[in-house]
Amino acid sequence: MTAITRVRPAGRARGDGKRDPFRATPLTKIALGFTVLLSAFPIYWMIIIASRTNSDAVDVPPPLLPGGNLGENVQRVLNTEDAHFLTGLLNSLIVTSTVTVSVVIISTFAGFAFARLHFRGRNLLLGSILLTMMVPLQQMGIVPLYQLMVSLGWVGTLKAVILPYLLNGFGVFMMTQYTDQAVPEELVEAARVDGASTLRIWWNVILPAVRPGMAVLALQTFMLNWNEFMWPMIVLTPENPTVQVSISFLTAAHTTDYVLIFTGTALSVLPLIVVFVAFGRQIVGGLMEGAVKA
Amino acid sequence: MMNNMRRGRMLAVASVMTAALGITTACSSSDTGSSSSPAPAETITLTLQTFGGGTNFGYKSAVEKWNAEHPNVQVKYNNLTDSFENVYWPQMLQWLQSGTGAGDVVGVDEGGMGLAKARPQFFTDLGQYGLQSRQADFPAWKWENGLNSEGKLFALGTDVGGMSICYRTDLFKKAGLPTDRDEVSKLWSGGWDDFVKAGQDFQAKVKDAKFVDSINTIYNVVLSQEAAKNGNVTYFDKNQQLIVDKNPAVKTAFDFSSKISQAGLTAKLQNFTDPWSTGFVKSQFATLGCPGWMLGVVSGTAGDRFKGKWDVATVPGGGGNWGGSWLAVPKQSKHPKQAAELLNFLTSPEGQLMAFKEGGNLPSSIPAQDNPGLQSATNAYFSDAPIGKIFGPSIKSLQPTFLGEKHAQVKREVEQVLNGMDQGSVPYGQAWQKFIEAGQKAAG
Amino acid sequence: MSVNLHTERADPAPPPPGPGRHHSRSSRRFWSQMDLKATPYFLISPYFILFAIFGLFPLVFTLWVSLQDYGLAGGDASFTGLKNYTKLLADADFWNAVINTVGIFALATVPQLFLALMLANALNKRLRGRLFFRLGVLLPLVTSVVAVAIVFTQLYGRDFGLFNWLLGFLGVDHHIDWQSAKWSSWTAIASMVDWRWTGYNAIIYLAGMQTIPRDLYEAASIDGASSRRQFWSITLPMIRPTIIFTVFVSTIGGLTLFAEPVMFASNRMDGGATGQFQTIAMYIVEQGFRNFDYGYAAAAAWLLFILILLGVGINYTFVRRIGGSK
Repeated sequence: MTAITRVRPAGRARGDGKRDPFRATPLTKIALGFTVLLSAFPIYWMIIIASRTNSDAVDVPPPLLPGGNLGENVQRVLNTEDAHFLTGLLNSLIVTSTVTVSVVIISTFAGFAFARLHFRGRNLLLGSILLTMMVPLQQMGIVPLYQLMVSLGWVGTLKAVILPYLLNGFGVFMMTQYTDQAVPEELVEAARVDGASTLRIWWNVILPAVRPGMAVLALQTFMLNWNEFMWPMIVLTPENPTVQVSISFLTAAHTTDYVLIFTGTALSVLPLIVVFVAFGRQIVGGLMEGAVKA
Repeated sequence: MMNNMRRGRMLAVASVMTAALGITTACSSSDTGSSSSPAPAETITLTLQTFGGGTNFGYKSAVEKWNAEHPNVQVKYNNLTDSFENVYWPQMLQWLQSGTGAGDVVGVDEGGMGLAKARPQFFTDLGQYGLQSRQADFPAWKWENGLNSEGKLFALGTDVGGMSICYRTDLFKKAGLPTDRDEVSKLWSGGWDDFVKAGQDFQAKVKDAKFVDSINTIYNVVLSQEAAKNGNVTYFDKNQQLIVDKNPAVKTAFDFSSKISQAGLTAKLQNFTDPWSTGFVKSQFATLGCPGWMLGVVSGTAGDRFKGKWDVATVPGGGGNWGGSWLAVPKQSKHPKQAAELLNFLTSPEGQLMAFKEGGNLPSSIPAQDNPGLQSATNAYFSDAPIGKIFGPSIKSLQPTFLGEKHAQVKREVEQVLNGMDQGSVPYGQAWQKFIEAGQKAAG
Repeated sequence: MSVNLHTERADPAPPPPGPGRHHSRSSRRFWSQMDLKATPYFLISPYFILFAIFGLFPLVFTLWVSLQDYGLAGGDASFTGLKNYTKLLADADFWNAVINTVGIFALATVPQLFLALMLANALNKRLRGRLFFRLGVLLPLVTSVVAVAIVFTQLYGRDFGLFNWLLGFLGVDHHIDWQSAKWSSWTAIASMVDWRWTGYNAIIYLAGMQTIPRDLYEAASIDGASSRRQFWSITLPMIRPTIIFTVFVSTIGGLTLFAEPVMFASNRMDGGATGQFQTIAMYIVEQGFRNFDYGYAAAAAWLLFILILLGVGINYTFVRRIGGSK
């Protein structure tokens, strides 16, 4: 992962003193600090409300420090039966993991084929994938997809929110670019000369080399899918929701219970924040690497 | 290349995901297991879906009683949302159509009954479970509205609307207005113009609260009164023809709402939204139109802090009937027999009286209306107002309003124009035209 | 992220002849030929099979549905030809949704990409706690869209929201009803989008900036070019492919905006009393799943697609000109 070395600005500019264009001015630092504060504030605000009471939530002036009711509020969310919050959380984990694994595998396969194999119609097919990336499938297909799910009897089941997401044109595109950068053509040919079959090459040569790219794609797919809202909202029911749908039902059923809604919301982003804290460095590195390699 | 620690973590992510995949297959197989028909001794769970703010249908105590008496048939009581036309009903229709999502017993507001009657495929025939026997319990109109286009019984009545004005005694006091309910009623006994005048007096003294909650509450109050004077129709005539532009009841209600909005008496809070609900807690308005079921919305939304600060006065301009609902069993219910039994219990005189006690929802069942306890009932939340005496005499003579198949659609759209007018995005001068257009468009 | 398809690369088809070893040379060759010819298709087949079912089928079927007229909730459908389209093109509410969508998109995307560029430029400086700042600006990305919308909607509350309270200090005395007017609701929604995506785009730009050879800047410095000048004449042109990519992604995201305005409207699809902030996606759901006019919703979906093609095309030609043509 060459991004790590690239991340450090060239050290040799250090001695140049005033004329160093990469020197951060105090103004830059203040602006960055302010941006980080702005980025963190709504999350902080979520915690404030989630740890207070409903009358605090509509107080003027607004409360600016967290209160002491977080534990009680979390308990209340979990005890609010009609929100099916834990079901939603578990469902989201199931749906998002399945989709992520599928997208990564499908994209790695296809990326290998497009980047390093030679077959008739390759450019045409790759071009068609690029075109379909522009189709907003969830909006375009919403009516027929819904009718399809109704006729299959899949409304309200997780199948309905997993299957349409198993593929992702962006993933194929990204893995094609990544494979092209990460796997030298000669390596594949050398393996061929040794008599390796295509699948063996994929396993022995491609897979080890593109693993970082797969990880980046996995993280991106996970975050994207965790957020899916429109289609799950239409096709799922309150009894068996994903976490986003569960929260939207929570907001509809408990309008003035801001504390309950905010606590649920905070719990819903918790898994993502945990992933972010644990893998922050990798996510930043991966995003940046993905951005330049693909 | 990545270093080993990072690779280790990535692999950890991958293995978590794979583990989760394992759960998928485990879960989906258990799913199919539970959907097969249960053995008779097994506990079944019925879902009861309703709508409305505060205590909504007032079924908490009734459901607790049922669950205690029926250990094998447990009821989950889910009130889905405050808003019938905007959220509950479209979603319910979608679930009814797709065959999944609707509960075993579902509430339907009067505004949805026209369409529900016209779609016999959505609901179970309750006659199969012997509920024809309940006919004598109900006034003819309440009973007949529960018969679908094929003449089958699909819904039984829960409550009726009635009408009153709820007001905040502490805010009235602050404004130098009388606080006693009889004197308050006298304040506007001359009709709605007196009400507006009282509002102007109120507003002259009080700046941090408005006289009425929202334009669409007051609109519905007046519309329900005017409908009774104009053949008991609102947006549709009895042949399902749209008459939003021709019915004088609609115009009168519109004009009055516009007047009260222009007089600056509304808090500009659309009813059954979060800001409206918050308005109760933050004392943003002093009065609102109160059909029986609204009492529970007020007490449930405003909460204990405001107990004793509300009271109930008579409504200017004569009686009206806004709201009132039915319960039905969707065809998709897996336990229609038990669901019908639950429905029977909730709409029984006993169930209706429990709901009346909990939320103030006025019973539609005749034996419950005749119950001496109801006639003498007071409501502690509303300063012990004698609600039996206030609503009791009128509920038997309530006139049913005819509502068309697309009533909920039209109501939703035209009231949006009212809100737009109140909040300033529709100029008063153009509002009536827009109102009619919105109605015509919604009726398609 | 260069949109580089390698289309120019010729297929060097002849495979290296495999050195046959001991037995059944011809059968082995047959299998290896099969492997070379068929396996690529096998590898890409999962994508295309799934795409056919969940991409192509809905697309084509949407066209069919859009030619039908459906009765309200469970009513019957009948063929009406192009009536839905002609009706839609004359429907002021649809155009209102189009204007809202494009307006919110412009209001969100232009400042967002501009701020992201500034932010990336700042992050590209040498400074202590680099990782902290990068993680800091990326933080919004890991919240969920629904969560963002819920939090911001509360912050934008008319009577008890933090923003109106803060505006009070700036002399704005009356409480702004953010939902009630176009300008205010668009601003509120655009701010949700910007809050979530600016940092992400900055990181993407930063990655692009770091591939620019430092020598270029050093040479420019020696020539006396100011850092602002360097930004416009070196940085910007060099990361143009990255900018094209982010514009592409933002366009698709912006034109299909849904969750934020829906949560801002308390779960409703109408986008305010007069549809001040109803987007096309909301309009489609309203028509299809609130009014149950599937045909009309399908027709709107097709028009949305055309709009996206137009949007991507316009933005592409526009962004291509950034920093002079190459």
